[in-house]
Amino acid sequence: MLNYSNPITEEKSYSGLQMREVKPIMKLILRGKKREFLSAVGKSLNLILPAEANTFTKSDKLTALWLSPDEWMIFSNEVSHIGNNDYQIENLLNKSICKTNLGAVTDVTDQFVLINLKGDKIYNLFETGSPFNFNDFRKKKASVTQTILAKIDVIIQNESQNDVNLFVRRSFSQHLFSWMNDSASRL
Amino acid sequence: MFVINCPYCGEREQSEFKAGGEAHIVRPKQPTELSDDQWAEYLFMRKNIKGIQFERWVHTHGCRKWFNMVRDTSNDEIKAIYKMGEKPPVK
Repeated sequence: MLNYSNPITEEKSYSGLQMREVKPIMKLILRGKKREFLSAVGKSLNLILPAEANTFTKSDKLTALWLSPDEWMIFSNEVSHIGNNDYQIENLLNKSICKTNLGAVTDVTDQFVLINLKGDKIYNLFETGSPFNFNDFRKKKASVTQTILAKIDVIIQNESQNDVNLFVRRSFSQHLFSWMNDSASRL
Repeated sequence: MFVINCPYCGEREQSEFKAGGEAHIVRPKQPTELSDDQWAEYLFMRKNIKGIQFERWVHTHGCRKWFNMVRDTSNDEIKAIYKMGEKPPVK
């Protein structure tokens, strides 16, 4: 049994904005450049990695985010069992990608914290602390961006209208969450 | 503050990037045959001109990729942006 200690313990709700941590969610970083890498990942996951910049693709179980021309993050759509850190998908990818020298798979489940935001004031919150222009981002379907929020590196995924997933490094998550609460209370 | 068009991510604000110094400096093929002065020239000496400069930049808070930029240092006007390994599109 794994001993989980969560940096964010509470759910917060404001008018037009709800924030909570979603846990535990499997997160993997995939890196590779070759065409064989892309087809091997596609076969193993039943999911095509997004080739277009700043977009994501989604299957029943997984979502794949574009991070850079040779880097993607995949995460599970549903929470896994607490106490389990052995993932079938990771083992499968290890076999089809790492052992064949096509690319690299890194488990970042405990490195990133996933914060889900809901409501119509999400972008009002982001605008208080990010240099990124969210105008096109919020209108475009399946958009992803890596940017800065309150001087902290974040990955923001536009899941659907008024539903956004935000990934932040675990060591920054508590600080960012308290900053977001502070900022949201003044919207 | 100015907007930089990352060749991979698109237009982003300058604070997401870091400058990486002068571009197109070629490492000498036989460093052991160089004099100390020549080696120091390669290692430390950089142009710092007022006008058009060739620079390397990295999108630190985005895709973390390096690219080249031609920038006028007097007014921060970006003349061209091109990927690593490509030849500069302007002289």
